[in-house]
Amino acid sequence: MENEIVMEKVIHKGAEANLVYGHWFGKEVIFKHRIPKGYRIEQIDKMLRTKRTLNEGKALIRVKSYGINVPQVYEIDTKNSTIVMKHIKGQKLKDALKSLTNEQKVNILKNIGKNIAILHKNGHIHGDITTSNIILTNTEEIFIIDFGLHDYSDYIEDKSTDLHLFKRVLISSHGNDFCLCYEAFLEGYRNGYEPENIKECKEIIKNIKTIETRGRYVKKEDRI
Amino acid sequence: MGIESTAHTWSVGIVDFSGNVLSLVNDMFIPEKGGIHPILVREQHLNNFINVINRTLSEASISIRDIDLIAFSKSPGLGPILKIGAQVSRLLSQLLDIPIVAVNHCIAHVEIGRLMCKIEDPLTLYVSGGNTIVSAFESERYQIFGETLDIPIGNLIDSFARDVGIPHPGGPRVEQLAKKSSKYLSLPYVVKGMDLSFSGLYSAVKRLLESKDFRNNYNLNDVAHSLQETAFAMLTEVTERALAHTGKKEVLLTGGVAANKNLQEKIKYISDEHDARFEVVPVRYAGDNGAMIGWTGILRYKALGENTISDTQINPKERMDQITIPWRS
Repeated sequence: MENEIVMEKVIHKGAEANLVYGHWFGKEVIFKHRIPKGYRIEQIDKMLRTKRTLNEGKALIRVKSYGINVPQVYEIDTKNSTIVMKHIKGQKLKDALKSLTNEQKVNILKNIGKNIAILHKNGHIHGDITTSNIILTNTEEIFIIDFGLHDYSDYIEDKSTDLHLFKRVLISSHGNDFCLCYEAFLEGYRNGYEPENIKECKEIIKNIKTIETRGRYVKKEDRI
Repeated sequence: MGIESTAHTWSVGIVDFSGNVLSLVNDMFIPEKGGIHPILVREQHLNNFINVINRTLSEASISIRDIDLIAFSKSPGLGPILKIGAQVSRLLSQLLDIPIVAVNHCIAHVEIGRLMCKIEDPLTLYVSGGNTIVSAFESERYQIFGETLDIPIGNLIDSFARDVGIPHPGGPRVEQLAKKSSKYLSLPYVVKGMDLSFSGLYSAVKRLLESKDFRNNYNLNDVAHSLQETAFAMLTEVTERALAHTGKKEVLLTGGVAANKNLQEKIKYISDEHDARFEVVPVRYAGDNGAMIGWTGILRYKALGENTISDTQINPKERMDQITIPWRS
């Protein structure tokens, strides 16, 4: 059993990959397998799967070195577009959020903000921060997952876009808790950034507004 | 009676209160060259609107006195064109002394889809010349999960068609061209979370058409094929991501571009993957039409009653997620 790779069962069908629970040399792991998509032609399919697998694997490893909670990567297999990583026991924040007390929500969102700030400070853009991509463990630790759309950037614009996306998710999926969660998130974000670089942090947050007003069909009075 | 007047189509539909469409007549502006010029469209609509209303009435074999409620599209769309719909509707409402309701065009697209496909709570991909939206009902609104950050998909295809000399509407012809090729030329693929961007793709195609490479090695079919495959793969990916995120069990494809078979197959593929039921709105009701406005007007009237005349101002830039939907909660 110690030197076997066993894929046991599909635990989640995501938009681009299947998550398969299994064992890898005695360790409990998740195989993130980017499956071929029959709807797109082979050239596009191959290019996207290889590029994203490699990119995600590398990103997970780098990001972990900054102390961000992400699953440990054991193996990157670009040929089969699979990443083998540690299995994190917990619940998607999307499902867990409803049943939490306000105090817990604030603490968790602050923590997320802080982690995202550390990512940004080091020039990493997650690219798809949603409450489905954050895992909450029983000990209320958070793990950030799914770096499939990760990118490297030091532009204010890219960092703001990252935050804007999360804001949109909070509105669309957690409308009732939006104000509470978003405030806590931003507070955590500021704390994660400061004191090293207050100026950049302020610009990033300010720029969210600019991005919003640039969107389609924004009221004239909201425009800058 | 529903009056649709947001862009190139002036359409009047008569719907009864249980959702049967009694008649539907469209009058579409087809430009001789270039795109949809609002002023020219306005002129055509102004010349034809009475005609279309009369034809709709005679097809349904009723008189104008039988109309109980008038609904019109007040948003979003091209200002000068929205105005005609609003003015004609206000006039009819006052002349006939019947209630008037103002309707959001995007919401109407979703509602007619739900009615026609007998579908309860879908994730909707709405693709047309003016909009590209992935939306689903959540917290009392049709929330927008993903949308284009710049040009809509229909605009991309029409602009490409125009550049290569295909007359408006170019969509069906481009689809035919694309079928004749299986040679893929690499084009930019831009997906940001659940949002899309097509303008870079359009520029790349334009550059490709002007390149020496194109004249020597490829033909138009290859470019059409590559353009469609890239753009539709992007659309399908964001729809699948939204589907996985919302966990909806139904998928609805609507809008003018929904007529494209290639796109239908792609969206069906991901619906099957996620065990979701897939429906395409019939072509007659997928494009802009008056029946959808009429039906959504009925829903709104039943839930909220009529609008006052002062409340029927057009709003060319209203987003569908700004409006609460009382008839669904």
